[in-house]
Amino acid sequence: MTNISNLSLLTMILFVMIPVSLSYLYSLGIGKSAIWSSLRGVVQLFLIGYILTFLFSIPDWQGIGLWVAVMLVIASFQASRRGQGIPHAFLLSLSSLILIEVFVLSLWIVFDIIPFRSEQVIPMSGMIIGNSMVAAGLAFERMKNEFHSNQGKVLAALSLGANASQASQMIIRKTIRAAMIPNVDRLKTIGLVQLPGMMTGLILGGASPIEAIRYQIVISISVFSTVSICAMIISLVTYRFFFNQNMQLQTIEGGND
Amino acid sequence: MKTIMEARNVKNERVDDVHFELMEETLTTMIGPSGSGKSSLLMLLNRLEDPDEGEIYFKSKKIEQYPINELRRNIGMVFQQAHLFDGTVEDNLKFGPRLKKKWSQNLGSELLEKVQLPVDILTKDVSHLSGGEQQRVAFARTLANDPEVLLLDEVTSALDMRTVEWMEKLLHRLVDEEGKTILMITHDLKQAERLGSYTLFMNEGRLEEKGETSELFRHPNSNALKKFIEA
Ligand SMILES: Nc1ncnc2c1ncn2[C@@H]1O[C@H](COP(=O)(O)OP(=O)(O)OP(=O)(O)O)[C@@H](O)[C@H]1O
Ligand SMILES: [Mg+2]
Repeated sequence: MTNISNLSLLTMILFVMIPVSLSYLYSLGIGKSAIWSSLRGVVQLFLIGYILTFLFSIPDWQGIGLWVAVMLVIASFQASRRGQGIPHAFLLSLSSLILIEVFVLSLWIVFDIIPFRSEQVIPMSGMIIGNSMVAAGLAFERMKNEFHSNQGKVLAALSLGANASQASQMIIRKTIRAAMIPNVDRLKTIGLVQLPGMMTGLILGGASPIEAIRYQIVISISVFSTVSICAMIISLVTYRFFFNQNMQLQTIEGGND
Repeated sequence: MKTIMEARNVKNERVDDVHFELMEETLTTMIGPSGSGKSSLLMLLNRLEDPDEGEIYFKSKKIEQYPINELRRNIGMVFQQAHLFDGTVEDNLKFGPRLKKKWSQNLGSELLEKVQLPVDILTKDVSHLSGGEQQRVAFARTLANDPEVLLLDEVTSALDMRTVEWMEKLLHRLVDEEGKTILMITHDLKQAERLGSYTLFMNEGRLEEKGETSELFRHPNSNALKKFIEA
């Protein structure tokens, strides 16, 4: 694999200057944050580069255990921010993500899809956890929005004698469906429009396309299933927070950001 | 005549110290300006909300003493908006009965006939229905549970005159032949007078006046009701 030299990397400044000057030209007011976020991104990535180097140098189970734990906590925190107003959103996110990670990882290992090595498990887990994080956040948000906009229908269901779970079915179904749709669409056009990031990376790194797609298949299908599981867990646990013990609708305070 | 439901000093932020009785197998109409708390009161009777103060009785027991979904099934409610569930008319009609595993195709056509809708509408998607059709499907959906009390919130507001006539006959039949008790909110004062045996007049969250319908319309006591009737 060819290395990008530091000097070549510096030319990226030129690229950053384009959106920055555009911002000034059209007074879009994002010049400062464009510079700041590019800088931050660069620093973050270098940091991760060194961290990963370190993680790969220690025994696999240590490296994996350490970094997967860090990813789980950060992702849960991020997901729960979208669940403002929902009780125990952080713990719920954390336990769902742990469950999902353990499930996927054991399947990968048991069926000999990848070896239990930091170089494989960490990036692959990162993709699973990252996607599940987004799915969990969206599921929180979706539940709040759907309960808000379908209040009348939920009340109608309750008035017909439904319990909280029965009255929430339509909302739970919509939430899970919404989590799955983008993945269904993505799978349909995968590789045709844009090569997935992971595959791109492998090919750049020197892997053959046939090797690369094998990994991509594993990751795409795994993401698809974990994202669905994640949305399912979140919606099946959170619906009850929208009701009190007398099966009456409760408003959940907490804006979305 | 027996009391089937009773509200005693019921109060929350939208309803103020409301006190009334519903007589079994009668039709009571409820009138009052927009925002006076009529719909809010129905929510309390169906126990979709609990009052901050006061008690509500159903058949001389506090409503809290019944299993809540049994209570709601028995005190059927039709909302001001149809609030139909996504799916077909049949999906909507069978929602209540299916919870008790009591659904049959026959029931569907029977219900539609009651609200004067054609049977072939059963498989239609509710998003393709007119406002008046939706309103009647919502009504039929509540009837499907065969409740003893019906709380109706403006269920004829989107209907043409002939259908209103039909629905009014249906309401009479439900009371006279099926022994149901109906509490019905309406903005149509003529209808309130025509249909009701008793009438409640809500104003600014308070139950300003109540009584036999003919009496109430002929001799309104409060200025608020006088003004409301004359307007
Ligand atoms: N979900 C709600 N949350 C807070 N306030 C509400 C809610 N629903 C209604 N209100 C307010 O409570 C008051 C009573 O409303 P309600 O819907 O009971 O009136 P109404 O007599 O049914 O009026 P209308 O004839 O227009 O249907 C109104 O001031 C209304 O703005
Ligand atoms: Mg109303």
